[in-house]
Amino acid sequence: MNAIEIEVIRNALTAAAAEMDVTVWRTSRSTIVRELLDYSTAVFDAEGWNLAQSARIPSHLNSMSHALREILARFIPAGEWGPDDVVITNDPYCGGQHLPDILAFKAVFHEGTRIAFAGTLCHHIDVGGLAAGSYAAKATEIFQEGLRIPPLKVIAGGVRNEGVWAMIRQNIRKPDLLLGDLSSQLASLDVGAAAIRRLAARFGAAAMIEAGRRILDMSEAGMRAAIAAMPDGIYEFEDFLDDDGVEVGKPIRLHVSLTIEGDEARVDLSGCSPQALGPVNATLASSTAAVMFALMCCAEPGLHMSAGCYRPIKVEAPEGSVVNARAPAAVAHRIAATHRLLNAMNGALHQAVPDRIPAAYYGNSYVTTFQTVAADGGREVLVEIEIGGSGAHPAKDGVNAFSSGMHNNSNIPIEMIEAQMPLTVTRYELRPGSGGAGERRGGLGLVREWRVDSPRCLFTANMDRFVHAPYGLAGGQAAAPGTLELVRDGDTIAVPPKTDNLELREGDVIRLATSGGGGFGDPERRDGDARTRDERLGYA
Amino acid sequence: MDQPVRIAVDIGGTFTDLQILDARAGRVQAHKTPTTPADPSEGLMTGVREAASHFGFALSEVGMLLHGTTIATNAVLERKLARGVLLTTAGFEDVLEITRHVRRELYRLDPDPFPCLIERDRRLGVTERLRADGSVEIPLSGLDGLMEKLRALEPEAVAIGLLHAYANPAHEEALAEAVRAALPGVPVSLSSEVSPEIREYERLSTTVLNAVLMPVVQNYLNRLKARLGEGGFTPRLFLVQSNGGMCSLDRAAAQPARLLLSGPSGGAMAAERLSRRLARPNLVAVDMGGTSFDVSVVQDHRIGLVTQGEVDRLPVRLPMVEMRTIGAGGGSIAAVDAGGRLSVGPRSAGARPGPVCYGRGGTEPTVSDANAVLGRFDPDFFLGGAMKLELGAAREAMVARVGDRLGLSTEAAAEGVMRVTNTQLAAAVRLSLFEKGLDPRDFALLSFGGAGGLHACEVAEELGMTEIVLPREPGTLSAYGIMFADLVQDIARSRLLPLEEASLPAMEETLGALHAEAQARLDADAIPAGQRAVEIAADLRYRGQAFELLIPWPEAPALTPLLARFHATHRARFSYADESERVELVTLRASAIGRLPKPEESRDVPPGASAPGTRRLWTGGAWCEVPVHLRETLAQGVEVAGPAIIEEAFATHWIAPGWTATLDPEGAVIARRTP
Repeated sequence: MNAIEIEVIRNALTAAAAEMDVTVWRTSRSTIVRELLDYSTAVFDAEGWNLAQSARIPSHLNSMSHALREILARFIPAGEWGPDDVVITNDPYCGGQHLPDILAFKAVFHEGTRIAFAGTLCHHIDVGGLAAGSYAAKATEIFQEGLRIPPLKVIAGGVRNEGVWAMIRQNIRKPDLLLGDLSSQLASLDVGAAAIRRLAARFGAAAMIEAGRRILDMSEAGMRAAIAAMPDGIYEFEDFLDDDGVEVGKPIRLHVSLTIEGDEARVDLSGCSPQALGPVNATLASSTAAVMFALMCCAEPGLHMSAGCYRPIKVEAPEGSVVNARAPAAVAHRIAATHRLLNAMNGALHQAVPDRIPAAYYGNSYVTTFQTVAADGGREVLVEIEIGGSGAHPAKDGVNAFSSGMHNNSNIPIEMIEAQMPLTVTRYELRPGSGGAGERRGGLGLVREWRVDSPRCLFTANMDRFVHAPYGLAGGQAAAPGTLELVRDGDTIAVPPKTDNLELREGDVIRLATSGGGGFGDPERRDGDARTRDERLGYA
Repeated sequence: MDQPVRIAVDIGGTFTDLQILDARAGRVQAHKTPTTPADPSEGLMTGVREAASHFGFALSEVGMLLHGTTIATNAVLERKLARGVLLTTAGFEDVLEITRHVRRELYRLDPDPFPCLIERDRRLGVTERLRADGSVEIPLSGLDGLMEKLRALEPEAVAIGLLHAYANPAHEEALAEAVRAALPGVPVSLSSEVSPEIREYERLSTTVLNAVLMPVVQNYLNRLKARLGEGGFTPRLFLVQSNGGMCSLDRAAAQPARLLLSGPSGGAMAAERLSRRLARPNLVAVDMGGTSFDVSVVQDHRIGLVTQGEVDRLPVRLPMVEMRTIGAGGGSIAAVDAGGRLSVGPRSAGARPGPVCYGRGGTEPTVSDANAVLGRFDPDFFLGGAMKLELGAAREAMVARVGDRLGLSTEAAAEGVMRVTNTQLAAAVRLSLFEKGLDPRDFALLSFGGAGGLHACEVAEELGMTEIVLPREPGTLSAYGIMFADLVQDIARSRLLPLEEASLPAMEETLGALHAEAQARLDADAIPAGQRAVEIAADLRYRGQAFELLIPWPEAPALTPLLARFHATHRARFSYADESERVELVTLRASAIGRLPKPEESRDVPPGASAPGTRRLWTGGAWCEVPVHLRETLAQGVEVAGPAIIEEAFATHWIAPGWTATLDPEGAVIARRTP
């Protein structure tokens, strides 16, 4: 088998993942899947290693292979999968990340031989639990976060398990949306399996397996080359979450010890805090995704991203820590830990390749939820995820208001919000001075204000970086931390950044100011033109 | 018939393509001349004069000139734009810079910001605020101080975009009046006129683009007009827009943003026309040139439109032809990385230096070089003999950079590059159909552009398609499409309403306004009553969805058929419909169409009979003598069995083994997979 056939198969597998992606997009029901595009699809080899994926969200990337391998190793051995079975799970303690993410996998056979798996991951709108959206800020155990589905065959021999289906329906807030989206995941698996079988019919089972091996080897070689280009050494760095929202004011440490030795990297996370009471914990699937993402960003552009990239990277994380939580720790906001872990990884990598790594980005998802209540009791819900500035790069300023790191979100049009519910956005602008000073300036955060126009409104927030600011590098300064305020009758009151169901009334204004990114290099060395420009544009 | 000649011109980066239709003979003929980038109107006039002497007509006999231009797009890409100022609602001056902030390159450590055409110190806040229903929350005030600041910025163009101006243009209009009084002669662009649609960032982006393009496009049109009159050359002039229709010069000068994505329009119009003339209602049209591969879908003889596109990552909220573009073309570079992986693209050698075989300094082998190595080009008759190909250099590059690294012969390496390319092209076609729920086997592949004929058979085979169509003069097909276009002016009004009986009065009011404006536009272009049409469509969604489907509404204002069509379209595209769910109207649209007379074209194909030549070509693992037919002399009814080459001045078509080609009465080559 030559390089041409490998490339043809690699292209076709990537196209299969793209067709699966289009299927989810075409057939899903909820806004979170179709409009926030919070889903991913992938094709795996016969052992569960990821060969090709279609994904837009870094926290999904590189986590699905982990889940499938866990399922095969601990729950349903590969030999027990038939061609017409589909296995699903959402359990963080069985290889998943948090309960809203349901993973679905199907084995693909050609002439009796298992040649691949197809998989999809969707963030579902609600899986039950303490709060609508299954995102409670104050949950302290996973049982409050929603329905746990252990790895099980939701379809066995082509027949749907109606008992499981009914049990899901009984335990969640929006059953039609969830089951609609789950059906679209299943349809997508069929599309992926058909595309892989079409390929196998042309090339044969043995060639498919051989091509998979060669694809993994090529990715591995590319990743090893990227690591080998870094000087050997041990690089340590730490960063902090402000708190878990339950034990307020108690910081959580994310510590990385990165060892580069030849073409291999070892990441020791044993310096991280013990698992937290509140829901900011990560399981291994989440923290591994952050570590892999940090290192894969250092590879040459154009490298094919597959599980081969993971081979030269070893992650060690003690069980019971915030990056490898033990059941039944709450994990709904696992994105918080992964944002900060990525910040810490980049701080360590900066010591190895100081000319390539940017200073800290804002490092969190500014989640706000407004539930307006009209005089007649009618309710409307708005969920927004805001962002801040990206960190300054050794060769470039950071980017103002730029979706960075582990998530990748869009904002919601102001005019759409105002046309649909009793809220008015009274300000949306950049936040001058919020980027860390440096030879290269950090990107600016932003300010967004919402005014309540209904008699009542329940406000929920979950955000971080209000105490521990995004760091600067190489003498660059930290960015400004965020602020969250309520303006009521002319008074300004600070609002805790992790808040469930704060009562607001008509005329109240919530004002969020997000962090910028850290600066890079000594601010004294910033050149005159850049300073003049900052001044002219009012950035500083 | 004193002005029987109609000319369509498509100005590309390298060549200016002309198609000439002389109603006296009814024949469409093609001509090509080099583009003059400094002032494209110069090349245009050169082409017209050359065509006049070549085909024997007088300049005074030209009645209509239909013109496709990339002048607006290039001005944006090269940032040769006017110095603009933006006036927008105070507190929202940064919306233009904040954008929608989703990133495109996930792994990139040093991202670039989204482009922003008016910097922060040139965006001025206006004291005013409208609500979503168009009512006034804060009245417009402070104009005197604002005009002072504006004058100090010495703008060459002014963009005005206020929140909710789609619902009530009063504040924007009052501002515009103040600006015109303060800065006479400076062009002003209003969001409520350019793109009166809900979603502030997209509307603002479109308005700003429009403003900073106005002086640029006006200059070009002035130069063009100055050339009219030479030698009695006084045609009516129309320009191609992004929506697959034409517009008058006045309209183009006032709303140049409508020209921004007009590049694909010509090809799309040609695909629609060919779909009818060849009686093939379902076609996938693929246009492959040097750097890109564009896919559009003709279903039931019509190309789809979308309501938004983008140029250089800037959204343009105006109707445009629906198209999927991937960066694959003749110039795509083949390379082998350290891990032994062969990749083709996304890097491209472009036009400069171009493929190795062009002999202009290119050193990396490209897809065109692969074709050259396999013997598919005539090295002495490339681009009609305009360029000699350096086959030796292409072979050397192919073996040094691909073959040796993979342990393959030169020919096997070239074949490999072709295979990898064809699978990429096929994947793009499959996705374009798949996302609409369509099956490639129900379509024929219409392949054009300079490189379209070289890949069509193999791409079709990948997709299980059994018929390909290779139109005449595939390199100038866009100009052919332009030749038969109509004037189409799109008018939109956003109005968020539940789609139910109670909303009818409000909808009828908006419809009335749309119809009145449509007729006023047609009046302005002096379109006779018998050649007018107004088509209504609505952007609809289920309540809570964040995007809309564009649904035609010929029965307006009757609601039932509109609802039924929405549910059906939703089911076709997204596999489900929920008839119990509330449906929302977001935007109403009218297309004011002025039908231009369509002279009959006769495609009399000369009764060719010359015997085919042959060429040594690598196929089926060996060098073989393969027949080479000249398209101009190909006779009707002759069956050309692959492997074979059909050649014409600016294109080469590869008929692969297993395919048989014949000439359609229209002059198109139709090839079918031999059963």
